[in-house]
Amino acid sequence: MAEVRFENVTKDFGGERPAVKDFDLQIADKEFLVLVGPSGCGKSTTLRMLAGLEEITSGRIYIGDRLVNDVAAKDRDIAMVFQSYALYPHMSVFDNMAFGLKLRKVKKDEIRNRVEVAARTLGIEELLKRKPRALSGGQRQRVALGRAIVRSPAVFLFDEPLSNLDAKLRVQTRAEISKLHLRLGTTFVYVTHDQVEAMTMATRIVVMKDGLIQQVGTPSELYDYPTNMFVAGFIGSPSMNFFEGTVMKDDGGLFLDLPGFQLPLPPERAPDIEARAGKPIVAGVRPENIHAREYTPPGTRTAEFESEVEVAELLGNETIAHLSIGEETFLARLDPRVQARPGEKLPLAIDIERVQIFDRESEERLGEAKPTTKPA
Amino acid sequence: MAVTTQARRGSPLDVLRRFAQRLPVHVALIFFALLWSIPTIALLLSSFREPGDVVTSGWWNAITHPLDLSLSNYEDVLNTRDMDRAFINSLIITVPSTFFVVLVAAFAAYAFAWMQFPGRNALFIVMVGLLVVPLQMTLIPVLRLYTDLTIDVDMPILGGRVFGTNSYIGIWMAHAAYGLPFAIYLLRNFFGSLPRDILESAYIDGASDAGIFFRLIIPLSMPAIAALTIFQFLWVWNDLLVSLILLGDPELAPMTLKVSSLVSSFGTQYQLLTAAAFISMALPLVIFFALQRYFVQGILAGSVKG
Repeated sequence: MAEVRFENVTKDFGGERPAVKDFDLQIADKEFLVLVGPSGCGKSTTLRMLAGLEEITSGRIYIGDRLVNDVAAKDRDIAMVFQSYALYPHMSVFDNMAFGLKLRKVKKDEIRNRVEVAARTLGIEELLKRKPRALSGGQRQRVALGRAIVRSPAVFLFDEPLSNLDAKLRVQTRAEISKLHLRLGTTFVYVTHDQVEAMTMATRIVVMKDGLIQQVGTPSELYDYPTNMFVAGFIGSPSMNFFEGTVMKDDGGLFLDLPGFQLPLPPERAPDIEARAGKPIVAGVRPENIHAREYTPPGTRTAEFESEVEVAELLGNETIAHLSIGEETFLARLDPRVQARPGEKLPLAIDIERVQIFDRESEERLGEAKPTTKPA
Repeated sequence: MAVTTQARRGSPLDVLRRFAQRLPVHVALIFFALLWSIPTIALLLSSFREPGDVVTSGWWNAITHPLDLSLSNYEDVLNTRDMDRAFINSLIITVPSTFFVVLVAAFAAYAFAWMQFPGRNALFIVMVGLLVVPLQMTLIPVLRLYTDLTIDVDMPILGGRVFGTNSYIGIWMAHAAYGLPFAIYLLRNFFGSLPRDILESAYIDGASDAGIFFRLIIPLSMPAIAALTIFQFLWVWNDLLVSLILLGDPELAPMTLKVSSLVSSFGTQYQLLTAAAFISMALPLVIFFALQRYFVQGILAGSVKG
């Protein structure tokens, strides 16, 4: 059990830009931290530097109080679960799990004991004698988890461990990893490109892009108060709609002039936005904050407009409508009772309290870091 | 289950039809296999025939008179022509030459594939470049080098000198040097194709480079190592040229040299040559059948992904 600290860590492979640049982060003991971002954002490199599989170009990494820059991977007291599982194909499941303990000269009885406890925890006692090739993908993943657990490391590292599982198994394993985190009470650092995994498992999420940290926060902070358009678009599925427009002011107060419609802003937003009057902005609206007018939840402050339906996907519990207004196309997550037929005009209502406003040039979110909209 | 089995096997008519479809392929395969085996079969049968029969009638007559076959040729070759000593000499030359090559190539290939050191790629390119150097071109320089470096002290047990021409250590080193470029190239490519994740996982688990090499690389690379062992063994076992140049002493000569000298001294005694040739073929056949299962074993199945 340990906290992990990155201080200005940079990794440069000699390309156009560093793979990871000035990575500064403190991970608390027992935290479940998820690094998320598109491929090539540096998240795996960061994890591999923590694991000791990649040299650090500059900066410092601490595990607990120990500076580990020059400590070999095997001496860092970590365990890692790989995307490919990385099981040793010629060894039985038992030997796979016992490998690390044998190398550390743990006594035989103790090894047997620890492997059996871990196998029971993961429900793989019956598989101990099998070779990896006789296991299904899900079972291999459990063995890989088991191999990490038996070592009781200070920090668990996961490199996209669910990517090779089918959708159903992924949901199931996700919950199991969360349970495992609660049971073991150890620091978990988890890398994924899947924002759903990040949102469902993390206590805190780090969103990365081009080797830089974009935002660090709890899942709900990231969802409700993204610092910039990248985070806003990356977190949430379907992703946030963006409309380019201008902040305007008239007798009725502030409103956003967007292509095809206007969006009045609630008066409490005025202090943040007023200075921007006449300036270009981008309005961000999540699909679930656009309602079909007849099914708008009572008490919601809305702006009303109409839009043409391009495609409507009925999913049973909701309908994802692809809509267009002028040149702009956007998505809305509508009540499944809505009859949305392609080509028809649909009366809509946008929840104006939950509209995010971004500076068009810097792409930063306007407004204070503290909540300006109702928490979810 | 019953349904699927039934479906897979089909009705008796289906089985018959499938058999009929494959029949031409099978007939062709058997025909070519037999055709290719004829020289070997002829060699084998002739080696069991009486000297008089060999020169007066074709080898196929042995099939109709199986009682005329005897082991006398083998007795003759082994006892009076020193073929037994030559067999031992071949083993003395071949086994260490193969062992050294496989061992050194495996170490080198691991370093080339997985360790970081300056000049790694340049060294590897030079290594691969050596593949194109014809062996014949090196014979004179090597011979001169051996003459200069001769250590003219009797080698205990094995016989010959400690180093130089007519020395087992000398010929081991020559065979090892000729075999290494290809061996390193073959193994490096195989080691390099092993999944990186497995090695990194072992590294995090606490394995050293030596641990990874002996516990993972070697067991996982058995197909490649077996293939290389067979190549190298056959190459050295069948070698005549290097032995001819570096081992002049008949006491130290391997079977290839002995058979070639039999050809010149008993050019007409085919029954002895065939027996000698078959003795020299026996061990390579045993080696091949012992290791051939590694060729078909997909040992990596199931290591990564599903």
